[in-house]
Amino acid sequence: MIAREHVHLKSPGASRFALAPIKKWLLIGTALGFLGIFILIPLIAVFTEALKKGIELYFAAITEPDALSAIKLTLITAAIAVPLNTIFGVIAAWGIAKFNFKGKNILITLIDIPFAVSPVIAGLVFVLLYGSNGVLGPFIEANNLKIIFSVPGIVLATTFVTFPFVVRELIPIMQEQGTEEEQAAITLGASGWQMFFRVTLPNIKWGLLYGVILCNARAMGEFGAVSVVSGHIRGLTNTLPLHVEILYNEYNFTASFAVASLLALLALLTLVFKSFLEWKTKK
Amino acid sequence: MGITITGVTKKFGAYPAVKDINLEIPTGDFVALLGPSGSGKTTLLRLIAGLEGLDTGSIIFNGVDFSFKNVKERKVGFVFQHYALFKHMTIFENVAFGLKVRPRKLRPSRSEIKDKVLELLRLVQLEHLADRYPSQLSGGQRQRIALARALAVEPEVLLLDEPFGALDAKVRQELRHWLREIHRKLNITTVFVTHDQEEALEMADTVVVMNHGKIEQIGSPAEVYERPANAFVYSFLGRVNEFRGAALYNDVAIARDSAVEAVGYIRPHEIGLSRFSNGVGIPAEASHVNAVGSTVRVVLKRLDTEDYFEAELTSGNFRELGPFHKGDILYADFTNIVVFEAITDSEHSKEREKVTVGAFSAFT
Repeated sequence: MIAREHVHLKSPGASRFALAPIKKWLLIGTALGFLGIFILIPLIAVFTEALKKGIELYFAAITEPDALSAIKLTLITAAIAVPLNTIFGVIAAWGIAKFNFKGKNILITLIDIPFAVSPVIAGLVFVLLYGSNGVLGPFIEANNLKIIFSVPGIVLATTFVTFPFVVRELIPIMQEQGTEEEQAAITLGASGWQMFFRVTLPNIKWGLLYGVILCNARAMGEFGAVSVVSGHIRGLTNTLPLHVEILYNEYNFTASFAVASLLALLALLTLVFKSFLEWKTKK
Repeated sequence: MGITITGVTKKFGAYPAVKDINLEIPTGDFVALLGPSGSGKTTLLRLIAGLEGLDTGSIIFNGVDFSFKNVKERKVGFVFQHYALFKHMTIFENVAFGLKVRPRKLRPSRSEIKDKVLELLRLVQLEHLADRYPSQLSGGQRQRIALARALAVEPEVLLLDEPFGALDAKVRQELRHWLREIHRKLNITTVFVTHDQEEALEMADTVVVMNHGKIEQIGSPAEVYERPANAFVYSFLGRVNEFRGAALYNDVAIARDSAVEAVGYIRPHEIGLSRFSNGVGIPAEASHVNAVGSTVRVVLKRLDTEDYFEAELTSGNFRELGPFHKGDILYADFTNIVVFEAITDSEHSKEREKVTVGAFSAFT
C-alpha cells in the first residue's frame, strides 16, 4: 500500500523531470549567451587588442612613466579611501544595527546617496565646494592648500563614491546577529574593545572583507567623479581609468588597451578573491 | 550575596516597565520572577545585572550600593534565553572566555584556565564536547554550556532570563532538576525569570509574582499557591474557575455592593461533588468526563446560570461517588470559593484587597 503510494507520488515528478532538461538548457543557454556577448567577448577583446602588436609593446605601454604614475596614484587613492570607508562603515553599521534612535532611516538614506547620484554630479559638488571659485575656495587658497585638480580631490571624490559599500554589507549582518552575544561578553567581564575584537569582529569578518573588496574594486575603477576633479594632468593627477581614456583619445589604441587590461586583471583578481570568500563563508 | 532592591523604577520612553519595586533577596536564595509577558520581570532581571540603567531607586549588593555600577563590576553571571554562545568559538573557548578577558594581573595561567574549564564542563556533564562548536549542540546542551560559561567567572549572583523557554517539554523537565542540583552544590544566589507557573513553583525557594511592572506577591511556592494575595495571583497560578455576577451571589453570602464588582475563584480540585443535594450544593449537569490518569476532570454546566466550570477529583473519589456520565446531574459545593475585588484593566495599578476569604454558606 505504502509502496504503491510512493510510486504514485513519484510519477508526476518523473514527468516533470522529463521536461526539465530542455527548460534547463534553454535557461542556461540564454544566460551564457548573454554573458558571452556582454562580458566575455569585450573582455577577450581588451586582451587581444592589448597584445595585438606584441608583448614588448604591451610592456612598454604599461611601464612608461605616465602609466606608472597613474598606477601609483590609483594605488594611493585606494589605500586611503578603502581604510577610511572601512572604519567609518563599521562604526556606522554598528550604530544603525544595534541602537535605536530618531532619524535612523534618514541616516540610512543619506548613506545611500553616493549610490543614487551620478558620480559626475558627485565630482561637480566637490569642484563647487573646494574649487577656486567654490564656497571654501578662498579659505583653501589662503592656506595654500590644493584640493581640486590634485591628489586630495581625487581621494575625496573616490571616498565619497565608494562610501556605502562596507556599511551596506554590514548592516544586515549586524542586525541579524543582534546584541545578545555582545551583552554576554560584557557580563563575562570583557571591556568594550575586548568585546569588539573577540566577539563583534569575528562575527562580521567575512561580510566586512566582502565589503572591503567591493569598495576597493570601485575605488580603483572609479572614472566619473575622479574625472571631474582631477584635471587630467599627465603624470600628476591621472588615475588608471583616466589614463586609459587619454591614450584612447590620442588614437594610441594598443597602449590604451594595455592599460585597460591591467584594470581588467585587477577586477578579475578581485572577483576571484570574492568567490573564494563566498565559498569560505558557506563552508 | 544578598540583594536589596528599593523603590526601583525603569521607563522605556513613556512606558514604565517596572514601577517602584521593593525586593529583598537573601544570600543563597533561589528566586523565581514569575509573570505574564510584559509584566516587567525580564527588565527587573536586567536591572539587577546592570544591562539596563535604572531611573530611580537603588540596588544594593551585600550593603554596597551598586545602582550605578556597570555590568563588569557587579560580578553577576547572566544566562540568556537564546543561550548567546559565541558561534565562532569552540565550547572550550566559550567557557574560557570570562577568564581570558581578565586583565593580565588577574588572569589565571593557561593550565589553570584549562583545569577550570574542564571542571565546569564536568559539572554540566558535557566534557566530551569541548572541541565542538555551538551549532553542533542541541538546545539543552547549549543552555548547559551557557551556564558553565556564566559560572566560570565565579559570579556571586546567577541571573537566568527564561533559561528553558526555548527548549522542548522533556528537556525542560530534565534541566529543571539539574539546575536545582547545581544550586544545591554551589549555593549561589540565583534569580530566574519565567512565565511558566509550574516551573516557578517547582524550582524556586521564593516566588515573586509580577504583573504590569509591579510585584503582586512574594512568598514560598506553597504560600503563593495556597494563600494568594489577590485575584491576579490566584488566577495566574494554576487552573481556576472564575465566577462573576449572579453565579457568585448564588454561591456566597456577600452583599451586592454596586460600587465594587466582586469576582470569585475556585480551583477545580477544591470543588466538592455529590450525588445528592445536602443543602450546600448547586445542581450542575456533567457535560464532559475525562477519566485518564490519576485524576478525573469533569466539565459541568450550572443549572442556575448555565455557566460552565471544571472540577477535578482523584480516581479514588470518582469511584466512591459511583462513576457518572455525561448528562448526569451532580451537586457542586463551592464552599472553598475565594472572593476578590474584580480587576479591571483601567485600574490595575490600584491596590487590590481581598474582600472575603474562607467558608461561606451558600444558598440555593
